[in-house]
Amino acid sequence: MRSFAFSAAENVDQAIIACESNNAEASYIAGGTTLIDLVKLDVMRPERVIDLNRLPLKEVERLDDGRLRIGALVSNTDLAHHPLVTEHYPLLSQALLAGASTQLRNMATTAGNIMQRTRCPYFRDVAAACNKRDPGSGCDALGGINRMHALLGTSEHCIATHPSDMCVAMAALGATLTLEGPNGIREIAFGDFHRLPMDRPDLEHELEPNELITHITLDTPVVGGGSHYLKLRDRASYEFALASAAVVVAVEDGVIRDARLALGGVATKPWQAMEAEQALTGQPAKTESFEKAAEIALADALPREHNAFKVPLARQAILRALEKATQAAMNS
Amino acid sequence: MDTQVIGHRTPRVDGEFKLTGQADYTVDWQVRDMLYGYPVSASIAHGTLKTLHLDTARAMPGVVDIFHHGHFPELYRASKNQVSEMRLPFEDERIHYDGQYIALVVAESFEQARAAAHTVQADYHQEEGARTSLLDTNQEGQLLESEGVSRGDPEKAFDEAPVTIDHTYDIAAESHMQMEMHATLAEWRDERLIVHESSQGVVYQHKAMARIFGLPEESVEVVSHYIGSGFGNKLFMWPHAVATAGAAQMLGRPVKTILPRQQDMESGGNRPASRQRLRLGAKQDGTLLSIRHDSTTETSFVHPYVDSLGSATPSLYACDNVAISQRLLEVNHGTPCPMRAPGETSGIHALETALDELAVELGMDPLELRRRNYAKNDPASGLPWSSKYLDDCYTNAAKRFGWEKRNPTPGAMRDGDEVIGWGMATACWPAMRLSCSARVELRDDGSVMAACGTQDIGTGTYTIVAQTVAELSGVPLKDIEVRLGESTLPAGPLSGGSMVTATALPAVAAALRNAFDALKEVATGENGAFEGCDPDNLEIEAGALVDKQGKRVSFGEILSQQKLGSVSGDGQAAPGDEKSQYSFRSFGAHFVEVRWDPGISRLRVARVVSSIDIGRAINPSAARNQVEGSIVMGIGMALTEKLDYDPRDGRLINNNYADYIVPCHADMPEIDVELPDNPDYTLNEFGARGVGEIGLTGIAAAIGNAVYHATGKRIREFPITLEKVMDT
Amino acid sequence: MNMKEYSTQTKAVETETTVTLTVNGEPRQLRIPPNVVLLDALRDRLGLTGTKKGCDHGQCGACTVHIDGQAINSCLTLAVMCEGREVTTIEGLASDAGLHPVQQAFLENDAYQCGFCTPGQMMSASAMLEDERIGTDDAAVREAMSGNICRCGAYKNILAAIQTARGQMPTARKEGEVS
Repeated sequence: MRSFAFSAAENVDQAIIACESNNAEASYIAGGTTLIDLVKLDVMRPERVIDLNRLPLKEVERLDDGRLRIGALVSNTDLAHHPLVTEHYPLLSQALLAGASTQLRNMATTAGNIMQRTRCPYFRDVAAACNKRDPGSGCDALGGINRMHALLGTSEHCIATHPSDMCVAMAALGATLTLEGPNGIREIAFGDFHRLPMDRPDLEHELEPNELITHITLDTPVVGGGSHYLKLRDRASYEFALASAAVVVAVEDGVIRDARLALGGVATKPWQAMEAEQALTGQPAKTESFEKAAEIALADALPREHNAFKVPLARQAILRALEKATQAAMNS
Repeated sequence: MDTQVIGHRTPRVDGEFKLTGQADYTVDWQVRDMLYGYPVSASIAHGTLKTLHLDTARAMPGVVDIFHHGHFPELYRASKNQVSEMRLPFEDERIHYDGQYIALVVAESFEQARAAAHTVQADYHQEEGARTSLLDTNQEGQLLESEGVSRGDPEKAFDEAPVTIDHTYDIAAESHMQMEMHATLAEWRDERLIVHESSQGVVYQHKAMARIFGLPEESVEVVSHYIGSGFGNKLFMWPHAVATAGAAQMLGRPVKTILPRQQDMESGGNRPASRQRLRLGAKQDGTLLSIRHDSTTETSFVHPYVDSLGSATPSLYACDNVAISQRLLEVNHGTPCPMRAPGETSGIHALETALDELAVELGMDPLELRRRNYAKNDPASGLPWSSKYLDDCYTNAAKRFGWEKRNPTPGAMRDGDEVIGWGMATACWPAMRLSCSARVELRDDGSVMAACGTQDIGTGTYTIVAQTVAELSGVPLKDIEVRLGESTLPAGPLSGGSMVTATALPAVAAALRNAFDALKEVATGENGAFEGCDPDNLEIEAGALVDKQGKRVSFGEILSQQKLGSVSGDGQAAPGDEKSQYSFRSFGAHFVEVRWDPGISRLRVARVVSSIDIGRAINPSAARNQVEGSIVMGIGMALTEKLDYDPRDGRLINNNYADYIVPCHADMPEIDVELPDNPDYTLNEFGARGVGEIGLTGIAAAIGNAVYHATGKRIREFPITLEKVMDT
Repeated sequence: MNMKEYSTQTKAVETETTVTLTVNGEPRQLRIPPNVVLLDALRDRLGLTGTKKGCDHGQCGACTVHIDGQAINSCLTLAVMCEGREVTTIEGLASDAGLHPVQQAFLENDAYQCGFCTPGQMMSASAMLEDERIGTDDAAVREAMSGNICRCGAYKNILAAIQTARGQMPTARKEGEVS
């Protein structure tokens, strides 16, 4: 871990100024679970680190319009167990608790989770070619060991998977991010925040260099919806997903009134399967409808040498999560 | 032997040190003026180092020196059997594997050493043709005549057998993943080299260091009080230790190097990948007619490590026609080394899987097939077994498991979404014993100190030595101090091969008895508590000497009375000629239930029942813990563990605890381990045969066999990751 | 793959700052550069070596300590971020009255072998037993403890020890109790 300068911001303005007023490469730190990991590997080399932990962004509150506003610094643990989340967004709670470990969830923050970097081993290895880490250097994952890599949203420049579980639930639930920077406050839909790699995999999101996420506001919960987050992986816990599915369905008289479906472990960003959601809506809550949706969700999947199994695996995740969510909806 | 302490479970005598953070592992040691070393590794697997760019690093704060080829002491090579890697660090500019050290940065703080190491750039001449894995090549490797075994006419018997099996089994290279990474603290004091090393063999490292640095043996001391485990990769030292000691010598200051996990995995040992062809011939009734077991394992280009895969095969089952062969293929990655039950873990895996395939072919219960070929004597030597109760292990474990309820048809047993698979395998590991020395001191405060130059790697050696002393002296455990892990102590064995118990306890007992004799001499001498008494008439009882009249004086009083701080005894113990009369092995059986959810391709081990006959367990709780831990490690071997070397360049891409997947708490199945108590007094007076390794043998095969039973798919390439079994 | 060229110019100056924190109930001051993580600060600078480094990347749990009562990975926490915080390490788990119930239960259940992951296991366990949001059944405990790898594989005894300790801790909820 190379050396860097450090300062702690007391409020959002200070954080923005600290970042802006210094022309050195600056990084914000909250939980530190991504940044310190990558600085130790020499993958990230901030010259200045600005601690955000004193910012007053630790509240979870229900807005008048029924949406849920989450402060950027709410820890993954606190969010997963927050009564408003467990009651209205059990999917989010489930997804959060499926991620990482108790200790990491205690440290990791909501905004930090959104900002976490890929686990691609070639990204994490400074001796490897990686367009995300070192634009233009190539992608060693394409012809390398790519069992963990993405099927959806990839390009010939990058096939790195977005590792978050929480974000998959947010992609399904719908959310808005509040960003604050030198030019003021702006909002962006969760689905528009993460970028596809295309020919610039180093540009991972829409955040400007001296902007920060202050809040995440979840859309109003689906009325009468049942949900399920299913994460498939090699071992039983403490591992990133091979494939995961986040599902919310509302069923009336055996017909799907509203459906939300997002995928994790198989895409370069938290992957909302919009066409599949549309295909489910108005269909009977049955296996045939689920199979059709899975087919649509994975129609554009582009497997590589070692990750072809993820296509049927993701399909299985979708089917089982839809079944479980439908059961939950029926029982609610 | 009716025992009071031995054979009874007792908390570990070192428990409180470990549980309060006071145990001094190598990484915990700090000495005055100590510097921190941080190695720089090669990022190519095959070629030469052209240039190292060190200027930036040298100018960084706290950097004291950077060692590399051309700037390092001239040293001597140790022999093949003394070290894990014969090549000395920075010996030349050849690069034999990715991860090989090309420099050692030494700085005032750990952070400074690491920051500087990250700035070091290297230019290489990279050569084509790196061989990245045995499993990525068709090359056969070199046949090792010394590993070959043959009896009868296995080829003819195979050709004539009515039922045959001929399959090839691959196992990926595995990493030990011991929790404490390799670490060395080297300090030179007046031409003496003092090394703290996380080591499974202080006496061996001591000799190797003396040879490498050209020092008299008495000028080297190696210390390893607590070891964050090793599983074999700390048996013999690695180049980081030499690099650290060389740096400390040149700088005249102590240097501590703790390998980062990435380097530990790349260059600190691994279980080599293996490819095995098993050919079995049998009669319709299951009688084995022929076993041919042909293996190939990997080694590096800098050290010829042989993992002897076929060594159990000639002894495991009664069969007149057996042939074993082994080949060795050099590859461009870090040197392999023993890993828990080395050789036989892989070899028994293939044999036990092939037997399951034969059972399917014969339509016979796999347990029945093994009983049918039960070896009453050792078929390899013709000698009787010292003690073998494998039939009881089969019976007891099968009963506890409920094996009789098994429906043999694959996929026939279901529970909701899940398919249940049941499989079994035999476990086996040699019972070894070497010569050993020990010293025991009886002290005037009533306490006893026992010392031996072996180690406790977590198996419980401190505790069983204390139990032995307590058993024979009647002194309570709390008054017994055990000293291990110092090369200056009487020479003890490597913590490997499951031989410490059988080797060290007799030596401790011998030393204790000599100490008793010394005490009796004191007691019966002038002004002694038993002045004039015949020493032979004195008995040892509860920390005291007792004469025929019932007079009893405690050890402490006897010594105090004579103004003696202590008396001591040195003891040696060695195996006798029992090896010419018996064959020594431990046996056991594993029964496994897996749960396979085909709808989501989820495969988990749900239940393991094992019966492992290790003779007498000196401490049953610690012994059972060894088997339970082996089962957990076997689950990793079976389902997830695999070192991924990039086939293009041999770079290890999963060099960390997140990408190399070992079992976690949530993976733990229901485990039921039985240790039948059948003391084996032919091996040693305590009847113990050792327990550290046998539990790992057979477990991966039992899991694979259960997976076959659940899915109908025979996976011959391990680990069984889900894509190999999923329905597509 | 080739070694990529990177600028080797380091612009930032390594400056030391003073951090005041409470460790095991004692106020402590550290004079450290910002790139020191809590784990190394505890081990190398405060001599508290009971907390262990097994991976240095939040992947094994050996470095688990409590900050303000919560279990965290000290290898991923900058020491400078601990200003004013309360840190508890394994050295602070026992009290004058003796071993913590978790330590006592680990001893009695032989819930360790080499002992290297053990401080982290116990720090996680002791925090978990006080956390009413985590379930009390075996499956919940296994899941909550999965961030602590034990390569010796003593998981069975660790689980038994935790459930034993639960019964010895006045503040812990009983097994099967629903939160």
